[in-house]
Amino acid sequence: MLNAIEVEDLAKKYGDIEAVRGIGFTVGAGEIFGFLGPNGAGKTTTIKILCTLLQPTSGRARLAGLDVATSPGDVRRRIGVIFQDPALDDRLTAEENLMLHAVAYRVPRAERAGRIAEALRFVDLHERGRDLTRTFSGGMKRRLEIARGLIHRPEILFLDEPTTGLDPQTRARTWEVLRALRRDFGTTLFLTTHYMDEAENCDRIAVIDHGKIVALDTPAALKQRVGKDLVTARSAEPEPLARLLSEKYGITSTPAEGGLSFLVEEGDAFIVKLLTADHPPLGGISVRRPTLDDVFLSLTGRQIREEGAEGQFARLRAIARRRG
Amino acid sequence: MIEVVYALWRRDMVKFVRDRRSLITSMVRPFLWLLAFGFGLRASVRLPGAGGDFVSFLVPGLAAMTVLFSSMFAAISIVWEREFGFLKELLVAPIPRGAIVTAKLCAGSATATVEAGLMLALSPLAGARFSVLGAIAALPLLALFGMSVNALGIVVAARMKSFEGFGSVVNFVIQPIFFLSGALYPIDSLPRALRAVVLVNPMSYVVDAVRGLCLGRHSFPIALDVAVALAAALAFGALARQAFNKMEV
Repeated sequence: MLNAIEVEDLAKKYGDIEAVRGIGFTVGAGEIFGFLGPNGAGKTTTIKILCTLLQPTSGRARLAGLDVATSPGDVRRRIGVIFQDPALDDRLTAEENLMLHAVAYRVPRAERAGRIAEALRFVDLHERGRDLTRTFSGGMKRRLEIARGLIHRPEILFLDEPTTGLDPQTRARTWEVLRALRRDFGTTLFLTTHYMDEAENCDRIAVIDHGKIVALDTPAALKQRVGKDLVTARSAEPEPLARLLSEKYGITSTPAEGGLSFLVEEGDAFIVKLLTADHPPLGGISVRRPTLDDVFLSLTGRQIREEGAEGQFARLRAIARRRG
Repeated sequence: MIEVVYALWRRDMVKFVRDRRSLITSMVRPFLWLLAFGFGLRASVRLPGAGGDFVSFLVPGLAAMTVLFSSMFAAISIVWEREFGFLKELLVAPIPRGAIVTAKLCAGSATATVEAGLMLALSPLAGARFSVLGAIAALPLLALFGMSVNALGIVVAARMKSFEGFGSVVNFVIQPIFFLSGALYPIDSLPRALRAVVLVNPMSYVVDAVRGLCLGRHSFPIALDVAVALAAALAFGALARQAFNKMEV
């Protein structure tokens, strides 16, 4: 079977700025593949190239065997795209938005109404089909966009930050829909995110930073790579414990609130050993498995950035303008 | 292809029909001109030639003005849809960009022509007298003019990142087109230099033809007027298509 996506040495420059610097990966058919990285890492640029909206500076990308640069028309027919910001016509009804999409993607006339009804049911919006989209909440708009992405049954669905700005319930619901999509239609999903918990839903993750892929593996394997668990010990006098850890076990600890914390392999077993052998004076102790946050930190030396105040300001301004 | 153009055109028309308020407010500008300018100057203006009621004289020019403003500003939808994302949905769809531009031109022109038609239909209430058949015959020509104007608007919109930018450039462009078109005065008796400027303005020929059809007074052969309107629509249409193709999202 053909790979859904094949990317070789892809690069994109804007003037002197290298947004994407020679990345390569393949995504298998039916896979959920995540691009994880902070804002500005090159995720959206990559997705725009794959969706034929941008020409790469060098390198190549093939979708279902078709080159995005030389046969954009054939590629467009096979893909669906759900953008970071809603791309609905908010002065049309939900059904009208979907109908326009069905015509644009040449869904056979006889099947249109059926597919629209089915897609709306799939995202639980069938009772709002005749309402103007501007009356929808952010989560409903996102779901409607997913419904729209289904209308033409794309082989590959691209999602740029699919749940940014959504509340936790809506995010969970969106993920249910996405997993059902793969299960029912075998759709390949390619998504970008800067949320670690969202990346955990993927089969494989490429961690991207400064336009380069710094790691590519399953979430479990990536976490394995960090290896160590984070142990946090509560103690009124952490100094003797810190000395004990460094002298007897060779572990460097860092002061934490009300005690200290340290990284160690197989944290739970280590605690048992520590408590039975050394009886340190402790108020409490906890072990945490490594998360993708830790993975990102260990790969890049930085914490993944949450969306800054600047981004939110721009969003507010856009809303103000829309109302004005 | 034709079905997609129709679907995209219909989208803009549906929104136009839903937004009745904008149809009503679009009547304000021409009627202000007709009442203030027409009745204000009627007594002091003596039109050359026979049959010179100034209010009736203004109506064809103001119908063309209605198309000019309406169709030009309709192109702001490009800026709007790029800003709020909908354009991306169209650009990743398997439809040629030419189809999107064609639909935009047809929709901008159709809504502007409906407004001009309404303006013509209401103007007898202000005392204007003209040939109804002539006015109906003028509508296709106004629609053609609407396409050129909308195309020019798209050329501007494709380069603009903000609504304010679009507004200021369009105002800068639209005023000379309007004032140097003969919409408000007969062009035969103009000073030579000014007349030369009026003669390179495609709107002059549209006004001339509409006035010829409505009132029977015109400076050029109607066939020439139609030819100029057609050439302008083709030329600006091609420019719009080029500008839209080059546009980055």
